[in-house]
Amino acid sequence: MLSYDYVKCSDLKQAFDVLKTNEHALPLAGGTDLMVGMRGGKFTPRLLVDIKGLEELKVLKEDDAGITIGAAVTLNQIALFEPIVRHAAPLAEGAHSVGSYPIRNRATLAGNLCNASPAADTAAPLYSLGAVIKLIGPNQERSMPIEEFFLGPGKTALQKGELVRSILIPKPYPAGKGVYMKASRTGSVDLSTVGVAVQNWDGKVRIAVGAVAPTPVRALAVEKAINEGGEKDWAKAAKLVHDDISPITDLRGSREYRYHIAEVLVRRGLEQTVGV
Amino acid sequence: MADLKYVGISVQRKDAVDKVTGAAEFIDDRFLGPLLYVKMKKSTVAHGKIKKLDVSKATAHPGVKAVMTGKDYPNKIGLYLVDRDFVAVDKVRFYGEPVAIVAATSERAALEAVELIDVEYEELPGVFDPREGMKPGSVLIHEDLEAYERVPIFYPVPGTNISNHFKLRKGDVEKGFAEADLVIERDYYVPQMQHVPIETHKAAAQWSPGGKLTVWSTAQSPNVVRQLLAKAFELPMHNIRVISSYIGGGFGCKAGASLEGLVIPIAMKFPGYVAKIVFNREEDMQGTFMRQALYSTLKTGVRKDGRITALEYKMVWDGGAYTEYGVNIVRAAGYSSTGAYDIPNVKTDSYCVYTNNSIGGPVRGFGMCEMQWGIERQIEEIAKELKIDPLEVRLINGMKEGSTTAAGQVVHHVAYDKCLKTVADKIGWGKKEGKFRGKGIAGLVKCPAQPSNAASSAIIRINEDGSAHVMIGATEMGQGMLTAISQIAAEGLNIPVEKIDIKVPDTDFTPYEWQSVGSRVTYTCGTAVKRAAADALGQIYTVAANLLEVPKEDLSFDGKVVYSTKDKNIKATIREVADSCKKCTGEGIAGPIIGRGSFVPTNMTNLDPETGQGNPGLFYCFGATAVEVEVDPETGVITVLQLASSIDAGKAVNPQLCHAQLHGGAIMGLSTALYEEVKFDKGIMLNRNFTDYKIAAIDNTPHLDSFIIETPEENGPYGARGIGEQPMIGVAPAIANAVCDALDIDVNTFPLTPERVWQAIKAKK
Amino acid sequence: MTKKITINFSVNGDRETREAVVGQTLLKFIREELHLSGTKEGCEIGECGACTVLLDGKPVNSCLVLAVELDGKELVTIEGLSKNGELDRLQQAFVEKFAFQCGYCTPGMIMSAKALLDRNSDPTDEDINVALSGNLCRCGAYQEIREAIKASAKK
Repeated sequence: MLSYDYVKCSDLKQAFDVLKTNEHALPLAGGTDLMVGMRGGKFTPRLLVDIKGLEELKVLKEDDAGITIGAAVTLNQIALFEPIVRHAAPLAEGAHSVGSYPIRNRATLAGNLCNASPAADTAAPLYSLGAVIKLIGPNQERSMPIEEFFLGPGKTALQKGELVRSILIPKPYPAGKGVYMKASRTGSVDLSTVGVAVQNWDGKVRIAVGAVAPTPVRALAVEKAINEGGEKDWAKAAKLVHDDISPITDLRGSREYRYHIAEVLVRRGLEQTVGV
Repeated sequence: MADLKYVGISVQRKDAVDKVTGAAEFIDDRFLGPLLYVKMKKSTVAHGKIKKLDVSKATAHPGVKAVMTGKDYPNKIGLYLVDRDFVAVDKVRFYGEPVAIVAATSERAALEAVELIDVEYEELPGVFDPREGMKPGSVLIHEDLEAYERVPIFYPVPGTNISNHFKLRKGDVEKGFAEADLVIERDYYVPQMQHVPIETHKAAAQWSPGGKLTVWSTAQSPNVVRQLLAKAFELPMHNIRVISSYIGGGFGCKAGASLEGLVIPIAMKFPGYVAKIVFNREEDMQGTFMRQALYSTLKTGVRKDGRITALEYKMVWDGGAYTEYGVNIVRAAGYSSTGAYDIPNVKTDSYCVYTNNSIGGPVRGFGMCEMQWGIERQIEEIAKELKIDPLEVRLINGMKEGSTTAAGQVVHHVAYDKCLKTVADKIGWGKKEGKFRGKGIAGLVKCPAQPSNAASSAIIRINEDGSAHVMIGATEMGQGMLTAISQIAAEGLNIPVEKIDIKVPDTDFTPYEWQSVGSRVTYTCGTAVKRAAADALGQIYTVAANLLEVPKEDLSFDGKVVYSTKDKNIKATIREVADSCKKCTGEGIAGPIIGRGSFVPTNMTNLDPETGQGNPGLFYCFGATAVEVEVDPETGVITVLQLASSIDAGKAVNPQLCHAQLHGGAIMGLSTALYEEVKFDKGIMLNRNFTDYKIAAIDNTPHLDSFIIETPEENGPYGARGIGEQPMIGVAPAIANAVCDALDIDVNTFPLTPERVWQAIKAKK
Repeated sequence: MTKKITINFSVNGDRETREAVVGQTLLKFIREELHLSGTKEGCEIGECGACTVLLDGKPVNSCLVLAVELDGKELVTIEGLSKNGELDRLQQAFVEKFAFQCGYCTPGMIMSAKALLDRNSDPTDEDINVALSGNLCRCGAYQEIREAIKASAKK
């Protein structure tokens, strides 16, 4: 059993300095994935760097750029933030569907993304909203579309010493309805068997699916049929999702069921967004 | 019966204020004295010989006081069949079986030392399907089965993995099938599920330098723990003290004895220390009792008019690695194998088979959920084939006053039809509500599964001020025992419930109670308490008669004053009677009032080893569940729109507590019907945490309706029966029946997960 | 090597200064250092809710919080609800509505419910379901729990 040290940081520079001192350091925000992973031996840090208190990371605001969600902002804060509820419904719904109320008081959006489970309930919504993730390191800042952030299960584009700074839902916001539909075993506190985000961008759609591939994926074949091909038969369009996903069989569902459910949820998502 | 003052009222729970303030003491809230933290080294194979076990590095680790292995636990343990090792000796039989035990002065040191233990296994072929395990030539899991001590009512088959074969033959099934117009035969499968109490299993032991062992445990039955430990460790019973606390959920998982034995050799080696073991959630899910899986074939013969003439049931149970308790579930299911129905010709064979899966044991229902699933599902098929309403088929065949069970026992005080009709009415039986909506109903019955001489006893001490202490050996695991038993005592003594103190047991002080299992406590312990109250009251009258110089028969007691019914001026306060009564001239008349009562069943008998005929039931408690569901045919998601449960409680000692059992059993039943299944892969429980073993949460719970029916149980206290398990039994089949009504599909297993429902819909197309 | 950090916090209204061991969870700290045994352990992974406490007024799973993170915060546990031996209104409602059975999930359940009522004085069944879906009750007292919360809100 490893011993580890803990430092509560008061500013970003200190955080980067501390992270540099120990190659087995991990940042700590909500801890709801990290603590579970440490107990199970998945993570073995020698130092926890507590970044929740950093003002730069607690930002939750709307301005001309859009909605900025700092890395220390919790899922409950997100689910209740009026601009998100109004303009980024898939994210509000996705955030709300993670875990339970007490979990969402600690779990952060950034943490959900950094944990990089293909089933992350905030990821597919962010894809559908064209979100941008901002990373910060000791010497540089960089941004990328959220879709470039995920590299595989548990793997992200973060480099050593880098932190997520914030996620941006950029303006102009999508004009139209957006939804996040989650299939699970119980309909209560549960991981997604399949999660589908559909956002209406003024008649065009952006669709993303979680828990059906090593990372969340855009349903590009479905999008193409609708956005370029003008397809209005939602059932026909939804069938094309089979080309976009590669689900596996695990404890939460079989491959076969996931293909089926993805199609059903995509169709229902279309009916509720571009279909109105 | 005269008007009752305390029984039949929903008095506030005795443990209420303790529990809502967090002051209620559970086992882990208690300990004084230097602690030793005990952790297990667990096997990583399901079946294997221990080739190498090197504990030297662990023993030398700082903070470690001792490392124990199988040889430190010289005897096996077992309630019905002594087959169970505390710690593996020479071979392991299930994944996660303890192979060594570490005791250290800190939890961290213990966990680190566990990692330092070096074990190597020679893997043996594993048995994971009892149908394979029972075949001749299967690898044997317990080679010495024949030599194991057992209660003689269990029948292992030598040279096999069958640790019990229960046989039942009633009437003549061949003749019965010949009389039938329709014969249906189907296979059913019920998987393992786990009790998942929110409090996991915990135990601690302390050995005094004078040679006295104190054991704390989450066990439901401290007297059985004391008995089994006395035998396994060869100690006299008066030197073992077993102390209970409030139990954070039992449901059968904490019946018998389990982990207590692990800490005893450690305690004995380090007198004065409290050696404590706490199972974490994963250890609790994989390494303690779970419901046995059942593979069954059920065949029924039915006449055109709906009357079942013959029933043949073959049940093969996955007993897991040790079946010291499981053998009795197999027996109970066997002798109950017609469920709530009066069937003249029955042939049942119920087999308990060893496998290298986790240990099978008692779960709420004790085999009834698993066994009655098949019956309540097959009745739907009968109804469909004969084009008779399924409710009607149940009413035609349902037990009535004077019916006989599969074992040939005559049942009395039966209102099964009323149970069914009540819930059917509630959900609007007969009205089809719409597409993808369906209604289902299922009945249930259970008698307590207990030895024919399982006893209870009680002592009531009257304090000087007329308040009382009731001392019993039953435990409080949420069912409300403390409250209901107090009410029975209050009624018998005619003193208010608030003046009664009652505690959970401590075997140094409280008298014998066989076990708090089987939905028996209200009846058996309740009767003992009722007798103890009558005894105490009798003594009060005897003493008062002496003091007041009037005949005993003239006296009455209003809770404060003992008075003559002939002349109310002839009276004495309870204090004058109970506070060492003396004459006005000073001579003592009597010392303290101590009432006692005990109960042993007199209506139960052994069962014939070849035919299973006899009287296994202390009483029979009937009930029913009706459900309306809506199913999303695309996703397979089931929404329960209505759920109504009924139970014939005989007399509801505390109606709110009865409703609580009805609701609690409904939710547990719903949870197993829709979500719960242990997933094994070669003996490894893949879903041994709450992330992947899901149980019903508050947002899975629809509005529940519950009905208490009261057909008095003649020999129960104030007419009461026990009802703790029954409310769960009918839920899974009722939901399945409703789903099949909604979609016209067929299912022979559960849980009905969305995926499973979708597969069934696909299969139909 | 177990490092200790001095933390300043309040627990149930009392200011405290303690040494917290790095690595110890808030749950263990509450039970073993503060000797408040009402908060329970059920799963250690934040799924059962038996360990729910209020941290700066918000319900959290204390098994997933480190003791050292308590620095500068206000902690309320089940023991902090009743004042001067008098049950809190919500606790009284739980008693009257029989909203518990074994009692093991009850402290966590009440803390989640208390937090709900603090932010929503008239919750619907749906509100209650969302707030309490992370508090598992295996005894199945959910219906009674909903009724107790609504009764407590109405008073």
